[in-house]
Amino acid sequence: MKRREAIQHVALLLGGALAAPSVAGAMGQVLNTTPGLAVTPEQEALLAEVADVIIPTTGTPGAKAAGAQKFIIRVMRDCYPKADQEAFYGGLSKLDADSKTKFGNGFMNLDKAQKIEMVKQTTTADKPFFLRMKELTTLGYFTSEIGATKALAYLPVPGQFDGCKPIEPGQKTWAL
Amino acid sequence: MNLNIDAAKEMTYDAIVIGSGVSGGWAAKELTEKGLRVLMLEKGHQLEHVTGYPNATKDPWELKYNGRLTMEQKETHPKLMRDYPYNENTETYWMKDTDSLYKEEKRFDWYRPNIVGGKSIMWGRQSYRLSDIDFEGNLKDGIAVDWPIRYKDVAPWYSYVEKVVGISGEKLNLPQLPDSDFLPPMEMYCVEKEVRKRIEKEFPGRTMTIGRVANLSKAMEAQTGIGRAPCQYRNRCAMGCPYGAYFSTQSCTLPYAGKTGRLTLRPDSVVTNILYDENQKRATGVRVVDAKTLQERQYQAKIIFVCGSALGSTAILLNSTSNRFPNGFGNDSEQLGHNLMDHHFRTGASGIWEGDLDKYYIGRRANGIYVPRYRNIGNDKRDYLRGFGYQGSGSRQNWQREIAELSFGADYKEDMTKPGPWTMGLSGFGETLPYYENRMYLDKTNKDKWGMPLVVFDAEFKDNEKKMRKDMQNDAVEMLERSGLKNVKGYDNGSYPGMAIHEMGTARMGRDPKTSVLNGNNQVHGVKNVFVTDGAFMTSASCVNPSLTYMAMTARAADFAVKEMKKRNI
Repeated sequence: MKRREAIQHVALLLGGALAAPSVAGAMGQVLNTTPGLAVTPEQEALLAEVADVIIPTTGTPGAKAAGAQKFIIRVMRDCYPKADQEAFYGGLSKLDADSKTKFGNGFMNLDKAQKIEMVKQTTTADKPFFLRMKELTTLGYFTSEIGATKALAYLPVPGQFDGCKPIEPGQKTWAL
Repeated sequence: MNLNIDAAKEMTYDAIVIGSGVSGGWAAKELTEKGLRVLMLEKGHQLEHVTGYPNATKDPWELKYNGRLTMEQKETHPKLMRDYPYNENTETYWMKDTDSLYKEEKRFDWYRPNIVGGKSIMWGRQSYRLSDIDFEGNLKDGIAVDWPIRYKDVAPWYSYVEKVVGISGEKLNLPQLPDSDFLPPMEMYCVEKEVRKRIEKEFPGRTMTIGRVANLSKAMEAQTGIGRAPCQYRNRCAMGCPYGAYFSTQSCTLPYAGKTGRLTLRPDSVVTNILYDENQKRATGVRVVDAKTLQERQYQAKIIFVCGSALGSTAILLNSTSNRFPNGFGNDSEQLGHNLMDHHFRTGASGIWEGDLDKYYIGRRANGIYVPRYRNIGNDKRDYLRGFGYQGSGSRQNWQREIAELSFGADYKEDMTKPGPWTMGLSGFGETLPYYENRMYLDKTNKDKWGMPLVVFDAEFKDNEKKMRKDMQNDAVEMLERSGLKNVKGYDNGSYPGMAIHEMGTARMGRDPKTSVLNGNNQVHGVKNVFVTDGAFMTSASCVNPSLTYMAMTARAADFAVKEMKKRNI
């Protein structure tokens, strides 16, 4: 089964033997023992900038405001083998280098439309990097306090269950 | 609660209960309430109710990895990391593989908890009665041995435990799935209600019902009296419930046992042997190694309830050798360790429901739906024995639905903040036959840090299960398609013994001491003061989730044991 299908399958399989954790959480593999790569402040700023293109500020704050880059760095450092970390940060550097080639400026200094174009280009130029970046941005954002409570509807203790109620106008997706 | 945790001076009790999970908790409750002074020994560490559940009330942004495991955790859990029950949320509840060593001649996923309460904390809570179709199955099919009991023997004990535990569900009057004494059923999603209607119309003899689950849809006095509250629909059960809204040792049986003042709970206590006295022809106690200090002690008691979760119990029995029992405690039949079973699952189908976009839900139902077994019942005859049920659920796709797609930007974000389409999935749980050659045994040359020989697993699913799995997938596809779902996809993700965490057998019940380890009262043939009441006793597997049966059989065995003590037969 392909990874994408696998993720979707896990999403559909509720009511299994034990309570399921977050969808993507079940997908980890591979082992290593080496400590995580060091991440520079420049890399962190660049991650925040790319994340903010994937989930920008709209009527609600975006990924950078929510601090999604902190989640991305933490998960990459602690949950992935070193080879994956190298590939991921390599992809980030390449995005920056490609920006210079195409627009004569690093990604940080591009205008909004140029940033979008560069991320679009990454979906084909380095799809594995894009997908990992998107996955971690999405998880980091929608599980952040800003993402869960402002972009989504957050109700930690519902105290009731109704499985078939008329949807309210402007109803947002439940965060949990 | 009056629990004497530090019991160093107390070495002699009326009863010893090995294990504190579903079965051990029930044994402790019943025996203390009947007046016995009970020592409960648990290999894992203490886990306090309410205050001891580290992740139960965290907001998602307080979890570091959104459920994922770190590389370090994967290193120390190379086997547990193969499937999802071990994750960030429940990380501290499971044993490290590097401590809990075992060997696999064939792959076996052995999920061993490391806490007081055992798997009653992380269990799926699905609760179903076995029926006479199960109890008569072996006899009719001429396989393994006959169960020494029938439904009528257990029925009153099911009722007895259900009133205490609280099982939410719907009455169906089906012969293959007897009703429990139910609390009100939980509600279905709109898509589930529709699919149910269509299954019943399109497939006579089949139905779909809300899952029968040990969560309190309503708290009765038996529950509120020990501080349990109704379900808050948070769906965080596996992390431990501070409301005590689902059955666990901590929420239910431990408070009841504690109230008697006759329970001593000793965590960090690894039982390695049951001690046998050749002259008295009975067990006299147990040998314990302290999990932390490795100090060795012995405790004595008049009766012993072995509730160490099927395979843990059988490991202790196999390790308890004597002149009388050179091949394992009570193992005259040479069946100890054999007939290992688990359910096979991870196959089914799912699809998209295009309707009801004007409907949503509130609350996170800690439960799914259930399709009771319909294969090989009545006039239905398949090319395999026994059958399967389905668990599943409707759901409305959330903000994760495009996580593996190429979309991004403002439109992506805004789309994800609106609910996606409804989906419906069915996942089969199939009965596995009791094969003598499916077994566990001890490697006495290799021991873990507590001195226990390593368990070796040599078990596999065979042709009967493989044939059944075809139906499990095809029927799911067919039912969903004919219920009007779109883009229906079948799947079979493969299933290894142990993965369903419904391990059963290895010390089976039977009528004849020559072919079984236990009699119909869970009593070891030939050693009257030892009872095994966890999954080890199962003579066949049924296709339903087994824990409710362990509860009923434990209460029944405790009643028998105390009556026998009073008659001085034990």
